[in-house]
Formats: sequence, C-alpha cells, structure tokens
Amino acid sequence: MNSKNLLEVTPKAHLLGLRFMVNRYKVSKVSGRSEASEERSTVKCLKDWSTWTMKKAKVITHYGFIPLVIIIGVNSEPKPTLSQLLTPF
Amino acid sequence: MASHIGVVPPPMTPAKGNEPKTAEKIDYLNLPCPIPYEEIHREALMSLKPELFEGMRFDFTKGLNQKFSLSHSVFMGPMEVPSQASETIKIPTAHYEFGANFLDPKLMLFGRILTDGRLNARVKCDLTDNLILKANSQLTSEPHMSHGMVNFDYKGKDFRIQFQLGNGALFGASYIQSVTPHLSLGSEVFWAGQHRKSGIGLAARYNTDKMVATGQVASTGMVALSYVQKVSEKVSLASDFMYNYMSRDVTASFGYDYVLRQCRLRGKIDSNGCTAAFLEERLNMGLNFILSAEIDHWKKDYKFGFGLTVGE
Repeated sequence: MNSKNLLEVTPKAHLLGLRFMVNRYKVSKVSGRSEASEERSTVKCLKDWSTWTMKKAKVITHYGFIPLVIIIGVNSEPKPTLSQLLTPF
Repeated sequence: MASHIGVVPPPMTPAKGNEPKTAEKIDYLNLPCPIPYEEIHREALMSLKPELFEGMRFDFTKGLNQKFSLSHSVFMGPMEVPSQASETIKIPTAHYEFGANFLDPKLMLFGRILTDGRLNARVKCDLTDNLILKANSQLTSEPHMSHGMVNFDYKGKDFRIQFQLGNGALFGASYIQSVTPHLSLGSEVFWAGQHRKSGIGLAARYNTDKMVATGQVASTGMVALSYVQKVSEKVSLASDFMYNYMSRDVTASFGYDYVLRQCRLRGKIDSNGCTAAFLEERLNMGLNFILSAEIDHWKKDYKFGFGLTVGE
C-alpha cells in the first residue's frame, strides 16, 4: 500500500519536480537572456561613456594644459607681472 | 695638558672614516632605497646616449620666479623619417616650441607645444611622502596618434613598486628591492592590449662609489648589460652591450664622459660603425654652446648640429 502510494506519488512528484525544473529553466532562460543582454548593454554603455570622457579629456588637456601651467605659475609667489611674461629679458 | 689630550680617546668621526669598509657589518634591515626601475641604466644612458641632433637648435629659458619658467625653442634642420628602405629619408623641418614649467617640491608641471599642434605634457605630483603620481602624454591633432601614460610609484624603506597605465590598454608593474647595500634586484611585467604583447623582465644593478654594473633581461628577447666606471671626478667611461635573441641583433658601444669646468664632452663608438660626440661648452653664466656630431660610415649618414642654450 505504501509502496503503491509511493509509486503513485513518486512519478507525480517527479513529474511535478521536472515540470518545476523545466519551468524554472524556461523562466531563468528568458530572464537570463534579458539579464545577459542587459549586462551587455550596460557594458556597452560604460564603454561608450568612457570613450566619450577620454575624448573630451584629450581635447581639454590639449588646449588647456599650457594655460593651466601658466595660471598656476602666475599665481605662485613672488607674482610675476604680465610684462615679465611677454618680454624676452 | 698635552698628556691629558693624549689620554682622551679620539672623537668618533675620524675613527669611522679610518675603519675599512669590509669590517662594517651589513645591516640588512637598514638598506638604502634603490634607484627606480626605469632608471637602472641611468649612468650608462647619460654617458652613452646624449641628445644628438642635426641642424640648428636655439633654446631660451626665461625664469619668472623660483618655480615658474617659460621656454622658447627654435629648431631648423632635417628630421629623419622612418622608412623601410635602407636609405634614411630626411625631410627639412623647422619648428618653434613654446613651453611652460612649474617646479614645486610637491608638484612639477612641464608642458611643451609645437607649431604643428603637438603637445608634450608631463606631470609629477607627490601625493604623500612615499607615493608619487607621474603622468606623461603626447597629444596630436591627428586621430589615433596620441598616447598617454600614468604611473603610480610607491617608495618603501628599501624597495620601490610602480604601476603603469597607458592608453591602448597598456598595463605595467615593476618592483625593485635592495638586497645588499650595493646590489639591487628588480623585475617588471607589462601587458599591451592593443599590440597583443606581454612580457616579463628582470634586472640587477650593482653599484659602488666607483662603478655601476647593470644587467637586464626581458622576455621580448632583449638582453642589456652595461658597465660604467668612474675613473676620476672628471672622467667616467661607460660600455654597453645589447643583444636581442629573437632578432639576433647585437650592439656594443663604448663611450666616455668628461665633466670639466667649462664644458661637458661625451663621445661614443658603436659596433655598428657609428661614432658620435656631444659637446656642451659654457661660454658664460647661463649661455651654453652645443655641438653634436654623429657619423655612420656604414650607412653613409652624417649628422652635424650646433646650438645655443640661453638661460638655466
């Protein structure tokens, strides 16, 4: 009797379990795909953003480095005057 | 009184000076800090590789105060263009370079900009007593021709660690440690993503007051050995051997470096049949006259240059 119940129960449970697993697999596969694509898009977003910042940083450095050094230098003690900057002696 | 002086033991300092060096016990916990890894060949490079140039060069450095200076530099002469053929192609160029330098104990900014828009910038910042940040970049208007590199150096008691980050996914790290008061050993690894290259290198440096011997091996196939002997205060001799076991390229060179009161003369001769000399003559305070010559009989390439440097 027990064994019969067991036999009856087990396949059902097994089936249920399988179905559950299948369902979980399906769900995880779908969510996994969206997760993977989400991940890929965030990585792509990050890459694009970092490329954009590097490009802007390069332009800013190219145009702004020498003026930055001059500004820092002119503000250091003792302060040189503008005429001293421009004359060759 | 004379007898009293005779009885009193002599003061510490002369006794230390008389003590032979070999009798001193090496204190392994108190070793000196080693030279940074990239400067391991420093003495040999200074003697054997002066900044040779061809053409006319005029540099004017105007100091505005202790820390800040501006520099103007004019260069006229043929520039070598790298070519595949054995003949070197030289294109006459002339450019003017404007530069600004700011030197502080904690911060150093160095910028140079040329007439064709190229910027050469270097930054060195002491973040703490032991941590130094260095950045170096060459920016051009052409796309994909700019590069930049950032280094973090940590100086420990008897070791140094350096991390490097460069554009084109370049990563590098190096470590150098003092093993005895005279010997330091170091190693480096680098990974270049863009060129798909990676490598590991080892280096050793042995120096005393009179000589420096260094050796470096890298997995890119380079073996470099150098030896510099300081013959006197004014004269030092250097020799250098470079061997690439991948491309079977061997170069040996021998040079001298005379540091005299009014001038500094460096000369070298190469195993490729190339002789070079570089003279910096101090005409007056702040006025230097430079002569550079490089003769390569094999390739029939003769380079002569002269220049004047005004300012410190």
